[in-house]
Amino acid sequence: MSSDRSADGDAEGTITRQRPIYTESQVIMTTVKVVIPFVLTYGLFITFHGTSSPGGGFQGGALIASVVLMIAFAFGIESTRAWLSNTLVVGLGTVGVAIFAAIALIPMALGGDFLEYTAYYPVLGDTLGLKEYEFVKYGMEAVEIGGIAFIVSGVLMGLFFALAAGFTPADLDVTGAASDAPTDEAVGDDASNAATDATGEVDAE
Amino acid sequence: MMATARIGLIGVFLVLGLFFTLVSAVGVIRLPDVFSRAHTASQADTLGAGFALAAVALTLGWQSAAVKTVLLLLFIFITNPTAAHAIARAAYEEGVEPWTTGDDRR
Repeated sequence: MSSDRSADGDAEGTITRQRPIYTESQVIMTTVKVVIPFVLTYGLFITFHGTSSPGGGFQGGALIASVVLMIAFAFGIESTRAWLSNTLVVGLGTVGVAIFAAIALIPMALGGDFLEYTAYYPVLGDTLGLKEYEFVKYGMEAVEIGGIAFIVSGVLMGLFFALAAGFTPADLDVTGAASDAPTDEAVGDDASNAATDATGEVDAE
Repeated sequence: MMATARIGLIGVFLVLGLFFTLVSAVGVIRLPDVFSRAHTASQADTLGAGFALAAVALTLGWQSAAVKTVLLLLFIFITNPTAAHAIARAAYEEGVEPWTTGDDRR
């Protein structure tokens, strides 16, 4: 990674400092190994206990995602990406949205309002053996666990991996030109520049 | 007698915690480069947070919230220096030269 970089010595005879090849830090790996079980447990606790104590799906999902972030920081981002497939990360968010939508929309099909949990009672009350007011609590619990915690953890992991993948400076082109356009030819030619700008903006919008 | 000593100890811990947190904040603003800033952010800030949380635990007394506070203290003692270590290490890997006095001084 940085083995080709040496200290600024202009003449021969000056000792150039040779950096060693990057190795994962023993300190960080050990700390992450110690801390991760507690963080994961705490995240699950906050998620599952969200209806009756401070916390909830958002905070718990963020903590669960931070476990993956810590593993990536300690043991290398690329190996973590290989271990945790993109399908799983994207699938977490997708399944979360699907569960949330299902729980929220089925009461409307049953004649209630959006997210009206008590609309489940005439259908599921006997099979689950729950009273009507209990549907509010467990419905909220299901939304927080199956919906929000999945979405938040999946999206946070995905954003982290997307950020860690890095970017080429062409992606940061603020004019809105497409990043894969051959920008070398367009330098100094205002007309073609404007043309690519216009098409780029049309594509973006 | 015990109550007075306890309140006095809480006050001492709070003042010490505030002092070290202030030192840490001043150091983060005033020190010249990444490495010295990471150093003050890890050491003084950990001690400041430790004293403040110790005061909280003393105030709460024997109950479950105090146990959580002590656990929090423990984890801050573990994780805060590790975070500073990670930042300093990343800065070194990126080729940030440490600030020195003498010829290299900016």
